[in-house]
Parts: sequence; structure tokens; C-alpha cells
Amino acid sequence: MESLVRFAREELGNPGLATLLDQPSFAFIQVLNSVSQGMNLFIIASGLSLIFGVLRVINFAHGAFYMFGAYILYSVAESYELGFWTGVVAAAAGLAAMSIVIERGLFRFIYDKEHLMQLLLTFAVVLILTDLAKMIWGTDQYSVSYPDGFGGAVDLGLTRYPTYRLLLIVVGPVILVGLMLFTARTRWGRLTRAATQDREMLGALGVNVPMIYTGVFILGSALAGIGGALAAPFNSPTPGMDATIIVDCFVIVIVGGLGSIVGSFIGALIYGFVFNFGSVIVPNWQDVFPFLILLVVLLWRPWGLFGRPEGEGA
Amino acid sequence: MRYVLAVVAGVIALAGASAQAEIRLGVLYPIAGTGAVYGVPAMFGHDLAVDEINAAGGVNGQPLATFKRDTKLKPAAAAAAAKELITKDGVNVLIGGLSSAVGLAISEVARQEKVVYIATIPKTIQMTTTKLHDHVFRTASHTDFEGDAMARIVAQLGIEKLCDIQLDYAYGHDLGAGIVRGLARHAPDVDLVIELRPKLGATDYNAFISQILGAGCDGITSGLWGSHFVNFAQQAKPFGLFEQAKYISGGEIASHEIAGKMAEDYPDNVWSNTYELWYDHFDPSHVEFQKAVAEKAGTNETAMWPVLAYIGVKFYAAAATKAGSIESDAVAEALKGLSIDTPVGPRTINPEDHQADTGQFWGPMVKKEGVPYRMMDPITYIPAKIAE
Repeated sequence: MESLVRFAREELGNPGLATLLDQPSFAFIQVLNSVSQGMNLFIIASGLSLIFGVLRVINFAHGAFYMFGAYILYSVAESYELGFWTGVVAAAAGLAAMSIVIERGLFRFIYDKEHLMQLLLTFAVVLILTDLAKMIWGTDQYSVSYPDGFGGAVDLGLTRYPTYRLLLIVVGPVILVGLMLFTARTRWGRLTRAATQDREMLGALGVNVPMIYTGVFILGSALAGIGGALAAPFNSPTPGMDATIIVDCFVIVIVGGLGSIVGSFIGALIYGFVFNFGSVIVPNWQDVFPFLILLVVLLWRPWGLFGRPEGEGA
Repeated sequence: MRYVLAVVAGVIALAGASAQAEIRLGVLYPIAGTGAVYGVPAMFGHDLAVDEINAAGGVNGQPLATFKRDTKLKPAAAAAAAKELITKDGVNVLIGGLSSAVGLAISEVARQEKVVYIATIPKTIQMTTTKLHDHVFRTASHTDFEGDAMARIVAQLGIEKLCDIQLDYAYGHDLGAGIVRGLARHAPDVDLVIELRPKLGATDYNAFISQILGAGCDGITSGLWGSHFVNFAQQAKPFGLFEQAKYISGGEIASHEIAGKMAEDYPDNVWSNTYELWYDHFDPSHVEFQKAVAEKAGTNETAMWPVLAYIGVKFYAAAATKAGSIESDAVAEALKGLSIDTPVGPRTINPEDHQADTGQFWGPMVKKEGVPYRMMDPITYIPAKIAE
């Protein structure tokens, strides 16, 4: 091992890799970093994937929803001092309310249109929402404090790790299990799945399909809001924060398979690991790696790791 | 049709006529998008300078008129806007720029079009060295001054193991190089352990934070500015990074817009810089200036950006007065060696490299009794001089 460390440091000139091999605690921190970043992204990406799975619309505005979540949390928790967790609930509720208006008023009319039309509309929503955010919150960068009791770090034996990040590591799987139980066990979930299979048949059976669409859109958007609210303490609410997140989410959702919740979960984990270990081992290529995974997956399984090929009853 | 043509001709004639009566300033800041947090306050300072000069009768009897364009923080957009200002609006000078990459793009247009460009904010050293030309002048500081000051603080604080973290673009790379040169002068024994380069616009710094922790540095030099710093600090604090190491930062994170916004979230052990502090009247004229900015901004605790834009306009006006002309070559000649008084002390432009001797205020950011945000104390003015 020692010779390997020396090899990495001296022959490869790679201090990052050397530290990784040399210090188990450092490698462990990177694993936790990867998982916690992945989980935050999963919360957001799962909403995007859920919406696509049922509505068949790729919602470009999902990133803007995330940004609104962060801003709403800022207003509730910092400006009005109503507490962090109230802010998270407010972000989810706010996004739910916004999404009803957007789905009923706009998206409803484009479900049977071609994808290009849908993209144009969702992109228009992005522009409107980002300007709206600027009108409400201005262009300042805000700082959000960690919630009480989550500002420090916990001793995990091998190393200390921020409590808040550990919380994200717990919240991610909880949301995964929740969404899976919802789709597998509840009546609404079963109808949702049926809607992805054959919406006309479902309608003919007397089910209110538009209602299901609205419900799914609300749920997906609320997830973006929660993701944004939970990210706010380490990702300061600023204009433009929507643009970076939507790209990450697309990568995750496409790698995992559009419409698959488990796929988003695995995709988000892969993204986290590749980003964090990539930043340490090949720092100059940190931005390339996510897209490299995307490329490999698109060539090998264009429908994503957990998706199904078109035409097999997506 | 004929009627429309006549109207158009009339408008053009009018525009032509007014072009002779006024001096046109082409102003480039990010005023709408992500960068508006800097560009909007910068415009307060710009407008203040223009108002003052016009109230005193203009320059050579001609009033100043501002033509502003949004750079969107993008070099390509800034270059296009600069060209448009020159060809369409017929501006006599370009002033502004924010981000080093944007500054270099505007400077290139100024070189091609032979129009004077006064860079008020960009700090990349390239602008006044390898990419210097006859028509570019800088009233901002630069990365070598900033790096040198940081190296002095590294020496002062007795740092032994240093980690450097910079954004991966012109400013970050140049500041990193400036620090290395400064360390050779002021702290040759310091061990620079790692140099990290997160991307411009990065939001997740955990992988970098753990590398700094792993390297066991007792000092960090950085140029993460604006929201980069806010995110970095928020992510690094729970790891105890600011207890382990002293954080010496360029990028003006000591300015009040950062300290005020972060309030009690601002980390301990930060030494940083700023061009101006609303609560520090370094020069007597600062009192009046700050009051005027506060009025425009609608808050008493004002940001640092106005003074930079303000100084740029004042330098142009002084040069045009001295030259008795607004012809580009004459103004450029007049700017060389020109001295003016500013709210943060006198400034002189070096005739050789077209760089103003713009120093900065440096110091630790400390808690004060009964104040909800950090303030710099003690405040030290480090002049723009590199001691060999």
C-alpha cells in the first residue's frame, strides 16, 4: 500500500489519489460526500422523473421550481424567522400551489403535442419564473443558517462528519421508499402506474385521468421544492442556481432511465460518486465525468439503466 | 413610406446633433442576470459620478451621457455589447467590466476599435502585462498586488502549511500565480501543499474541503468570491475547517455585501480585502461620498462596488479635461501618469503599464458587540506596491 501511495504521489504526480489511498478517513469522507450530494440530487431528480413517467413531458422548469424552493425557505426561515422546518413545509406547499396553476393553465394543453412544442413551453416557463424570482427576491445572494442542532458534526469513529449532510443521507432513502410504497401499495399509486401504461383505457374505465396528471405534477414539483429548501443552507439562493441543477438532474434521470424512481436513485448515487472521486483524482476533468457516464449509458442502454426501451409499453 | 423615411432621417439628424453636444460613456456591467448583485450597485457609483460632473458643468463644457449595456457576465456578450456601443451609439469611451474574462474581451474590442477602455473591476494581471495595448487602462487592483498582500498576511500569521483554492478561470489562475510569487518574497519557507481549482460557478465544495482537511493545512489562501464563498463557507464550517486553518482571501469577501448578507453565518478566522468599507472614512471626502451612495442605494450600510465605478468615471473626466479633447489618443495620452483624488485616497495611473496604484483594505473579520454582522478590525491599507 505504501509503495502504491508513493507511486501515486511521485510517479503519477497525483496528490489527491495518494491521499485517498493513504488515509482511510479521507476516502470515507469522500464516500459520505458522494452519497449526501447524490441524495440531495435524487430528491429533485425523482420529481422530474416522476412527472415524465406519467405526463410524458420533460419539464425544463423543474430547476426553477428547485430555485423557488430555496428562496421560499429563505423568506420563511430567515426573513420571517418562522423556523427552518416550517420553511421546508412552506417550500413544498408553495411549489404545490404554483404547480397547480402551471399544470392546469399551461401544461394541460400540450400533452398530445410533439416534444419540441413541450420543450418550448417549459422553457418559456423557465424564463418567466426566473424573472419572477428576480422581481420578488432581487439579485442578492442570500445565506441560510443550518437548522438548530444540525450546524455541527457527529463523530463517526473514523472521522467527524456534518450532521446536516448525514440527515440528507437519511432523507434520500426515506423518500425513495415512500415513493415506492406510494406507487405499489396505494390506490392513487396504482392508478398512476396505470396512467403510464394506457391513459385512454384508464379514462374509459371511468377514472379521472386529468386529476391524476395534476396530482403527479404537484407531487413531482413539491419534491423539487423540498430539494431546493434542503439545499439552501449549503447552496445559497441566488439567481441562476436553477441552470446548474437542471443539467445535473437531466444526467441523473437519463442515466437512471426516464420515469424510473429507482433509476433516479441509482443515477444520483453514480453522479455523486463520479463527481466527488473525480474531483479528487482528476480535478481538471471534474465537469466532464458526469457527461462521460451519460455518453456511455446512451450508447450502451439508450433507455437508461432502469428504463424500458420505447415501444415496450413504457 | 416616405413619411417613415423622413421621420427616420429626422431622428438620425437629431441623434447626430446631440452626439456633438454630449460626451458618450459606454458602460458595461452585468445589470440584469446573475451578476446584477454587483452590477446594480456599481451603476449607483457610476451615476453618482456622472451627476456630480454634470452638476459642475460637464467636461470641457459638454455634459456626460451614459449608454449602458448588460454584459451578462459573459465575455462574448460583453464584446458584442462593446462593439455595438462604439458603432451604433458612437460612444467616446468604454468604462466598466466585471470578471476578468469579460474585462479581457472588452479590452480586445478597445484595441481593435482604438477606443479608450477604463477597466474598473477586472483584476487579471494579463490586462496590464501580456495583453496591454495603447487604449486599455485599469483603475481596479490586480492579481499580483492582491497575491502579494495575501502572501504578506501568510507570513504575518506564521502559517506553515498552506492550501490554495482558486476558481478555475483567468482570475483564479492569475491570483494563484500572484500568491506564489508573493510567497517567494515574503514567506519563502511556507510549504504550499495543494492547489485546488473548483470550476467557476461551482456549488458543491465538499470534495475540496475534505482535501484541505486531509492535507492538514493551517492556512488557506483563496479567491472564491461572492456566492462561491458563501457556499464554500457554509459547507466547510461543520467540518471545523475555520478552526483548523486561517482563511486568507482575495476576492473582496470583506466587503459589506458579503458580511452583511452572511451575518452570523460568516465564519471565524477570515482575513480578507475590500476596496471600500462604508464604516471606514479613510479619506475625509469618503463621508460625503458614502452619504450620497446610501441615498441612491436606499440603505446606510452600502456595498463596495459603487466606489469602483465612480473612480472610473472620475478618471475619464479628469483625462478629457487635461487633454481638452475627447479624441481617444489624446485621452489615452492624458491618462498616463494622471493623478486624481478619490473617496478612498489619491490614485495615479502608471504611464508604463496603464495600471492605477489601487491598494486595498485588509484585515480580520471580527464580531462586534451589538452588531449583527462581522466588521473588519483592525483595518490596514496595503498600498499597491510590490516590494522586491
